[in-house]
Amino acid sequence: MSLLEISGLEVAYGVQRVIRGISLTIKEGEFAALVGPNGHGKTTVLRAISGLARARAGEIRLDGKALTRARPDRIVAAGIIHVPQGDLLFPGMSVLDNLRMGAYLPEAARDEARRLDEVFTLLPKLRDRQTQTASTLSGGERRMVGIGRGLMAGGRILMLDEPSLGLAPIVIDQIYELVQALAKSGRTILVVEENAIRIADMADRMHLLDNGAIAWSGTGQEFLSSPEIFATYLGG
Amino acid sequence: MDVATQILISGLTLGAVYAVSTIGLALIFGALNMLNMAQGGLLALGGYIAMWAMQAMGWPAPLAALAAMAAGSLAGGLIFVAAARPMLGGEGFETRIFIATIGIGLMLESVILKLFGPQPQAQSLKLEGGIMLGQVNLPWQNALIFGTALLMLVLVAGMLNRSRLGRAIRATSMNRDAAQLMGVPIRRIYLTILMLSGALAALSGIMISSMSGLLPNMGADPMLKAFIICVVAGLGNVPGAALTAFAIGMLEAVIQYIFGVQYAFAILLCLVIAVLIWRPQGVFGQKEVVRL
Amino acid sequence: MIRSPVRRDVVIALVLFLLMLAVPLLTGTRYVLTQLTVFFIWAVVASQWNLVLGVAGIFSLAQMALFAVGAYATAMLAYYIGLMLPAAMLLAALVTVGVSLVIGFACLRLKGPYVALLTLAIGQVMYLLVVNDTACFTTPASGCLPLFGGARGFSRFGDLGFRDLLGSKWYVGHYYTGLVLLLAAQLFCIAIIHGPLGLAFRGLRDNPGLALARGVSRMRYQLWVFGLSAFFTGLAGAFHAAHFGVVGPTAFAFAMLLFILAMIVVGGLGTTWGPLIGAALLMWADEGLREVSDWREIGIGLVLAGCVILFPKGLAGIRLRFSQGRGQRPDAPPAPPPHTKPV
Repeated sequence: MSLLEISGLEVAYGVQRVIRGISLTIKEGEFAALVGPNGHGKTTVLRAISGLARARAGEIRLDGKALTRARPDRIVAAGIIHVPQGDLLFPGMSVLDNLRMGAYLPEAARDEARRLDEVFTLLPKLRDRQTQTASTLSGGERRMVGIGRGLMAGGRILMLDEPSLGLAPIVIDQIYELVQALAKSGRTILVVEENAIRIADMADRMHLLDNGAIAWSGTGQEFLSSPEIFATYLGG
Repeated sequence: MDVATQILISGLTLGAVYAVSTIGLALIFGALNMLNMAQGGLLALGGYIAMWAMQAMGWPAPLAALAAMAAGSLAGGLIFVAAARPMLGGEGFETRIFIATIGIGLMLESVILKLFGPQPQAQSLKLEGGIMLGQVNLPWQNALIFGTALLMLVLVAGMLNRSRLGRAIRATSMNRDAAQLMGVPIRRIYLTILMLSGALAALSGIMISSMSGLLPNMGADPMLKAFIICVVAGLGNVPGAALTAFAIGMLEAVIQYIFGVQYAFAILLCLVIAVLIWRPQGVFGQKEVVRL
Repeated sequence: MIRSPVRRDVVIALVLFLLMLAVPLLTGTRYVLTQLTVFFIWAVVASQWNLVLGVAGIFSLAQMALFAVGAYATAMLAYYIGLMLPAAMLLAALVTVGVSLVIGFACLRLKGPYVALLTLAIGQVMYLLVVNDTACFTTPASGCLPLFGGARGFSRFGDLGFRDLLGSKWYVGHYYTGLVLLLAAQLFCIAIIHGPLGLAFRGLRDNPGLALARGVSRMRYQLWVFGLSAFFTGLAGAFHAAHFGVVGPTAFAFAMLLFILAMIVVGGLGTTWGPLIGAALLMWADEGLREVSDWREIGIGLVLAGCVILFPKGLAGIRLRFSQGRGQRPDAPPAPPPHTKPV
């Protein structure tokens, strides 16, 4: 059963079409990845889904309910959680307040204590750091707070924009272990990743974004075993 | 000793008045990157509505103050709906909203002028009398101003730090996109901030007019001072603005005593210019790293 | 398309100049000519401010203060030293440039809104210092005169000599002086907007990273525009002083600042011809509203707010939306980078 359905999505900055009519579906419980070279619109797709960028055409549906051009707060309330690129933490707030902001909406706020406990169990380091101001954290810790904040919101689908960006290799491994654990626990996940090879053996499904359009979709295994896609992708 | 007490009283009163109107401006700038140049008009609006409510309507003072604050918050809300909202996210927002609010302030002052006339009037909402502290007279009005301002500051601080709304306001100022991704309806937050700021401006206008009388353009100088306080504190820094307001109030009282009233503002401005050249990002402001 | 926007703008400027040259021959009415003379003055101030605000992106509100510096310096040089007015005017314009460079050094390191508030404060300080100075510097027959003229200001510091030359038609001389001043200022604007400085600012706006990497220093260029435009602003102030024969603290008035800001905003911020269109339109409207003068302020407020909200690019912007002149629209959205265009 498909949870998130995108059809014919177009986004333009001024006269420039950045996203040129893409369609994709993500099933309940699926671990999907949107890959492709930098500057080809991966982040814009996520921003359009969560309402930060305005879709010029196309439709976005969650569980069959249309969300196209809704305000971001309505989209979050509907259950689409977006962990943005570069974390975008609230720098002057403590780790705890950052996490609590994740559960801002009433439904999540009622369940705040239990979710906080869950996040701390998953990311024990944050429990020790909860009074620390977010701007003083290390890159890896910031990423954890960002993901933890997203988990606090609950939601139906978790979108992660380049969770490995700018981290040391050892920290990247930790972050992806976490993402894999989340996927195994049954969460629906959409990851944007520049490094397709890193994600290919984890993801259920890969979508290759090339110049604002979906150039190829398939399983991670197919991606790795298809020499021509591999070559075109690396060549392009 | 008596001189010191006198300066302390007038400095704290000035600081209190400045603090109340300045935190509103700081909140607006912090969240929207918007300099609300209609603030002067809002100050006058508050002063005149309070006077009118007592004179023409015969309302008791607390009710008159509430009426003024309600009018201020209504005007603040209208500024958001009519001017800020249509241009949010558009090109050159900071410049355009600056100019638009100048226009709105001008209209507000002109309407007040048409309704109440150009002649100076006395503020009716005022306590008479005072108490002697040693050799120095502490007017009840000053005590009232200081008490009210302190109460307001505590209420606003509590709201910002403890309530869900306050967290949302702070989150919006720190990162607009991230706040939206948490489900914060930022337009509603903006509206709330402008209404809150309008109410605080109206209250500050009552305080100012109780000391120096009512005039349609009475808000011009206090507005410039409030902005200067914001700038010295670092634009958008709310606690810094409140602290700086008291510092500037004390400083002004001292300068008034030493150099005379007519030079106080000019000297104050020169000091501020010097401060800004020394610390362009404000005393409490963080040095900003420009990311491209 | 080879049509050069520079040439077109220069041609427009010269044609308008020739048309205006003929006006005194067609109508001898003193009222019309003096009104047009005042229009020339405000059009110069508006066009120079537009360079600072719309082209260089300096959010300066010090323009009226610079205007006042030009006016005061003219009056003081003529009054105290006894300089001939034309010489005093030129010298005053240079003094204005000097003052603007000092202000520029103090302000240009700051970010937009800080610049606005600081320059507003500087103008206010100047005003307060002039008005609150009550100590007599000299005592002419008319009584005590403070160094900067105090609240009353200067008068009787000579004139441009057209009264001797043209007799009762002296205002025609002022008309032509103003017209030449406006032509010079407008040609200067065209040169800045289409020249290397305008190009650098367009580069800084469209791609700050690239521009900075190529050694484009925003502050240095801003200082250039700020200083150069102060020359004409000061000259306009000087001519204003010479034309009216009085200089007073009203030159600093916030209301005047708003009136000129409204001209720029209505006409189109950052456009070549917008400020002139706006100046003409607002002065015309102001004359029309004289009958209902207590609605004037409300009208200006409405025009300021309404235009900024409804027409962000001003009247010139509305027209230019359909024109193809690229160089005329420095505030247009950046053209799409060619390599990402669909083939």
